[in-house]
Amino acid sequence: MIEEGRPLFLQIAESVEDSIIDGSLAEEAQAPSTNELAAFYRINPATAAKGVNMLVDKGVIHKRRGIGMFVSPGARDLLLAERRTVFADRFVEPLLDEARKLGLGADDLGQLIRERMTASHTDTEGPAR
Amino acid sequence: MTSVIEVEHLTKRYRDTIAVDDITFAIEKDVIYGLLGRNGAGKTSVMSILTAQNFATSGDVRVFGEDPYENGRVLSRVCFVRESQKYPDDAKPPHAFATARLFFPNWSQELCDRLVAEFELPMRTRIKKLSRGQLSAVGVIIGLASRAEITFFDEPYLGLDAVARQLFYDRLVEDYTAHPRTVILSSHLIDEVANLIERVLVIDHGRIIMDEETDAVRDRAATIVGDTAAVDAFVAGREVIHRESLGHVSSVTVIGTLSPDDRRRLGEAGLEVAPVSLQQLIVRTTQHTDTARTEGAAR
Amino acid sequence: MNRTLNVVRMQLVNRMTYIWIPLIILGGSFVLSLLIWSMIPYGGTKYSGGSQAPLWYFFAVGIQALTLTFPFSQAMSVTRRAFFIGTLTTAALTSAILAAVFVAGGALELATHGWGMNGYFFYIDWIWAAGPAGAALFFFMVAMLFFVFGFWGATIFKRFGAIGLTIVLVALGLLLVGAIWLIGRVDAWGAVGAWLTTQSAISFALWGLVLTAVLSVISYGTMRRLVP
Repeated sequence: MIEEGRPLFLQIAESVEDSIIDGSLAEEAQAPSTNELAAFYRINPATAAKGVNMLVDKGVIHKRRGIGMFVSPGARDLLLAERRTVFADRFVEPLLDEARKLGLGADDLGQLIRERMTASHTDTEGPAR
Repeated sequence: MTSVIEVEHLTKRYRDTIAVDDITFAIEKDVIYGLLGRNGAGKTSVMSILTAQNFATSGDVRVFGEDPYENGRVLSRVCFVRESQKYPDDAKPPHAFATARLFFPNWSQELCDRLVAEFELPMRTRIKKLSRGQLSAVGVIIGLASRAEITFFDEPYLGLDAVARQLFYDRLVEDYTAHPRTVILSSHLIDEVANLIERVLVIDHGRIIMDEETDAVRDRAATIVGDTAAVDAFVAGREVIHRESLGHVSSVTVIGTLSPDDRRRLGEAGLEVAPVSLQQLIVRTTQHTDTARTEGAAR
Repeated sequence: MNRTLNVVRMQLVNRMTYIWIPLIILGGSFVLSLLIWSMIPYGGTKYSGGSQAPLWYFFAVGIQALTLTFPFSQAMSVTRRAFFIGTLTTAALTSAILAAVFVAGGALELATHGWGMNGYFFYIDWIWAAGPAGAALFFFMVAMLFFVFGFWGATIFKRFGAIGLTIVLVALGLLLVGAIWLIGRVDAWGAVGAWLTTQSAISFALWGLVLTAVLSVISYGTMRRLVP
């Protein structure tokens, strides 16, 4: 869950973002509070707060005074767009590096991707909301 | 940010050893600090001086803006839990807790009772007959239940098994969340406390070699692994703090956060990147500093 | 001031140390004396040295007040000044209790003609010469002195180590020997003897309290820079 070598507040923010993206945390739903996150991951609440603040700054969640943090409308789309931008860096580059080592060309890769996608990944949009 | 402790040019000399060497730092209110360093690095000396139990050779210490020495007003807001604490002869844990209740204005008997149950502390046994772990538990319970505005824990968990240690960390963070206070926790079990400390203060040979936010330091270093020539090409111009080789494979730890660009280059060169834990970073940095010191001294 | 009072409460948190054990020691020593007297077929006045026992215990308590309770008080964030005053107050309180017990015991002894055995544990003529009040003051002083001796010795030991304490004790010994030699030199033994006979329990008590005060002040001074 918690990775070494990466700031905790980023990981906290990411875990909340992951739940928004996969739909388990819906828009307008209440987001986990700083204290809940800190307790769950067993980390310092100040660090958790930093992660939460980052999400607020990004516009992913917002504060409803007196009640708590809620997922902002449009958050999912915002995050999907962001993730797609870094998708190439995060996933495609390492794929290409490994493919190069194994001597797989663009056509080989394309074929592999097509095969795998039709076999088990029939749904490219994610779980229905 | 308010500072509750201010230290300026603090030096402590014992006969011919310098335990604390001209250090300057500030402690901010309601932050959990990790005071990290090797055994004998100077952690206990610093904490003793800050709590007026020991005395500086030179330099200035201000706690809540005042000199802590013989200052009841300031000291009653501070609690120092140390390992090998002495207790009155024949005292039993209830005596120690009853006394703590007298002197710590924010003492929580409820928290004390709860911790006694969780640590399974035998209340009828005399303190001098307790096991090492149980003795530590007494200190830890006093430190937690005191709810003192500034609480120092000097390696308080020695003798506590892993389960008890985790209990301590959990209760510390829990109570800190509900009742914020300034905590300075000294430890050499860095990875265990890494997630609960907000700031790290690393002491080595009496000097502060790191005073940062923990999160800022988490990605401060990376280990590059792969073919030696390729690794060397990549790390040229970077600060290397550790190097290991086996055949023509090298593992080199460098200081410097890797940019996405760096990562792409590494990938293209067929090099692996391994994360560096806080403990590894501090250990390697300390070793690196020590080597530089000895080499400098030898010259 | 409040914290000083709390130091007294801290010392008394464990009733055993300052209250029960001295009474048990005293009681035990007393009973032992009674038994021994009852076994001696001697009708004359019998005295017991057993009444010293609790005093030696006070000496030990004085030592431990510094070696163990002081470091603990530091952990309780108590200032050295509050600890010092609070601890001496506790010693004074318990010395007063002990003195009261001795006076009461002495009165009982007189009334029962030595417990019907002509045996005297609490009552010593010259101490009672000035009456029960004088005796009380004397007993109080002796108990305090034993405590403070222990406390003072322990501060020297903790601050300056075994060598430091040895040097101090040797120096005191030399002072004493020197004084004796000097008195002999100026042939003043007669004057000293005469002065001694004019002393009463009360004046001894007062001299003793002066000594107690001096040792206390030295202890405090030493303690101010003591690391627990």
